[in-house]
Amino acid sequence: MPLFGKSQKTPQEMVKNLKEAISQISREDKKGEKASDDVSKNLVLMKTLLYGAGDQEPQSEQVAQLAQEIYNSKLLLLLIQSLHRIDFEGKKDVAQIFNNVLRRQIATRSPTVEHICTQPEILFTLMKGYEQQEIALNCGMMLRECCRYEALAKIMLYSEEFYNFFRYVEVSTFDIASDAFSTFKELLTRHKILCAEFLEANYGRVFDQYQALLNSENYVTRRQALKLLGELLLDRHNFTTMTRYISNPDNLKLMMNMLREKSRNIQFEAFHVFKVFVANPNKPKPILDILLRNKEKLVDFLTKFHTDRSEDEQFNDEKAYLIKQIKELKAPDEH
Amino acid sequence: MSLMQCYCSSKKSVPEADIEEPLYRKPRSRRESPSWSSSSASDRASTSSASNYNMVDFRPRPEDYQIFTVIGHACNEQATISLAKHIPSGTHITIRRINLEECDIDFGILQHEILASKQFAHSNILPLYSAFIHNKELWAVMPLMGYGSCRDLVCHAQFTEGLPELAIAFILRDVLQALEYIHAKGFIHRGIRASHILVSANGQVRLSGMRYMLDTIVGGAKEHVVHDYPTTAIKSLHWMAPEILEQNMAGYDNKSDIYSIGITACELANGCVPFADMPLTLMLLEKMSGTTPRLLDNTTVPDYIMEENQNMEGGTDSGILRDSEGNSRGDTIKYQRIFSSHFHEFVESCLKRDPTERPTATDLLSHSFFKQVKKKSTEAYLPNLLIPVQPLTDATKLPKDDSAVGSLVDRLKDTDLGEQWSF
Repeated sequence: MPLFGKSQKTPQEMVKNLKEAISQISREDKKGEKASDDVSKNLVLMKTLLYGAGDQEPQSEQVAQLAQEIYNSKLLLLLIQSLHRIDFEGKKDVAQIFNNVLRRQIATRSPTVEHICTQPEILFTLMKGYEQQEIALNCGMMLRECCRYEALAKIMLYSEEFYNFFRYVEVSTFDIASDAFSTFKELLTRHKILCAEFLEANYGRVFDQYQALLNSENYVTRRQALKLLGELLLDRHNFTTMTRYISNPDNLKLMMNMLREKSRNIQFEAFHVFKVFVANPNKPKPILDILLRNKEKLVDFLTKFHTDRSEDEQFNDEKAYLIKQIKELKAPDEH
Repeated sequence: MSLMQCYCSSKKSVPEADIEEPLYRKPRSRRESPSWSSSSASDRASTSSASNYNMVDFRPRPEDYQIFTVIGHACNEQATISLAKHIPSGTHITIRRINLEECDIDFGILQHEILASKQFAHSNILPLYSAFIHNKELWAVMPLMGYGSCRDLVCHAQFTEGLPELAIAFILRDVLQALEYIHAKGFIHRGIRASHILVSANGQVRLSGMRYMLDTIVGGAKEHVVHDYPTTAIKSLHWMAPEILEQNMAGYDNKSDIYSIGITACELANGCVPFADMPLTLMLLEKMSGTTPRLLDNTTVPDYIMEENQNMEGGTDSGILRDSEGNSRGDTIKYQRIFSSHFHEFVESCLKRDPTERPTATDLLSHSFFKQVKKKSTEAYLPNLLIPVQPLTDATKLPKDDSAVGSLVDRLKDTDLGEQWSF
């Protein structure tokens, strides 16, 4: 307890003061200014209570009280909805308070996760946060923590808002696009079974939009999307999705064209998707036709492909395997 | 000086930085306030400066920028720093360009640097106005820092033996203000060195080099000690604290930045970084055995020369004074000058082998070394202390560089018009 100054505020008071201040924050007058200061101050108080001051550990009883008060007062949603009105440092404090409360555990229960499940609006508001430049990165920090919990990842994946990510990852502001891509990737890869089920159930919609990322004008979007595609297809949980993807001749054409892109990085990532088409033991006819039609060219192309990667053993083995497979390709009516 | 005046007058229309910041800090009791809230005063000042620079809207589109000449390189020579003009506002700025196709820096690190830069708003931290992709390049738009880095300053003929003590006091005070803020936010900088301290034409000091910034708050929990060792920071090893170099179970914390402040102080005062002339492994051993670099002046140089002579046969290297070129002018300067005892003491306290004995950034700001700059603004004094170095201010007189434009040509080059697949 500090010897000087006001006596410490109880968690209940903090939450109450914060809520009051937020309700006044959009006012244009002096009261609005004061409210803004009060918001920042109370956020700092809360953060200190949750993380501990300096090297001190936080007091678990106070933390429990604060968490309970936060749930009862629905403070999380309010904070996120008002995030754009809070000042620069306050926004970061909100994210840190949110992330700390989120990881709360009582035995095997995660009370905050349960709380958010009953208020999914919290997640949708966070996802839409990428549309506002001044809060995008703060929302990203909270979203990625949410992704760690399967129940929350599921709500986000199956929401309409998820499809907005195809737009967010392509915005021209690099930091926002990068952050959105990290969240997007996390959602599609973190919980293997959940992700596999989601991709199977929503194959058409997801890959229609994914195609646009692969054709993006933005070099980084294209490169990252291609890399993630390779990872998704090669993950054995996504077997059904992979099979579907490699049965479509348009996808094969796209990858073959990307093999010829000027960018070596894109060529290399495309190789890792292309190899799945060739390695497939049950190639559908349209796929086989394309490969047969380009047999000589492909053998020639792959023989000269990235020959300077001599130290990458796995790549060279795979390349040799592909060349062998393509050489041995036969039209079905020949046997 | 006409160039500078021109800069100052044009600056009025461009509220790039907050000059009305409190010029000194009130001594505060560290005991009564928790570390989070201790920086709230500087937070407020910095937030206002953040909103100031936002008044100019630097949009993420290449056609808004006119690139002039290349003025430097960064990130192991893989990034090009160009002087440029933001056309809509007429502001002179710098753009750092990295070709992502050819760059071997992990893309994640570049992403981390950009995102980390966006986490801070402080008048002594280099702001990132905008970052975007143009063709295969990552462009980062930043303010023009007319004097370049402090590394550039000690490379200037006038200062090869180091900067004047008063200039160093101004520079380090401002860097510590930035560091106090960074530490209060739970980050460790891990890249403090002269080349990451930039000075603008009007004398503002700003810390950069956010690439190795480490957040000690992970997943909603604060770590008191961290064990993350940067694997790609070979060029920064000279500035790193022994506990980082050791990579042992004890880990390290933000006190490692304080050690780097000490090394940087020596770098600024001596003109070269301590241990510069020895192999990295030997430097590591010297640091771990507790060898403390010192400021080279009349009070220390004679000691070293005696030591050197004694050790001639033994072959032990103090590692601190080894002027391979035998520069006699430099030696004379080092013999004659005297740094204040406060400065010597400051360096000594930063370079304590045991991290817990090192002061915090906040402690250091009230160190007696900074008495000489108390209540004085860096902008008002630093440029005069740096004479005869002239800052770079006016971009328009320099040749224009068109290599960045021509996007259509680039796009055409991307499509291989040679052989095609038959679909």
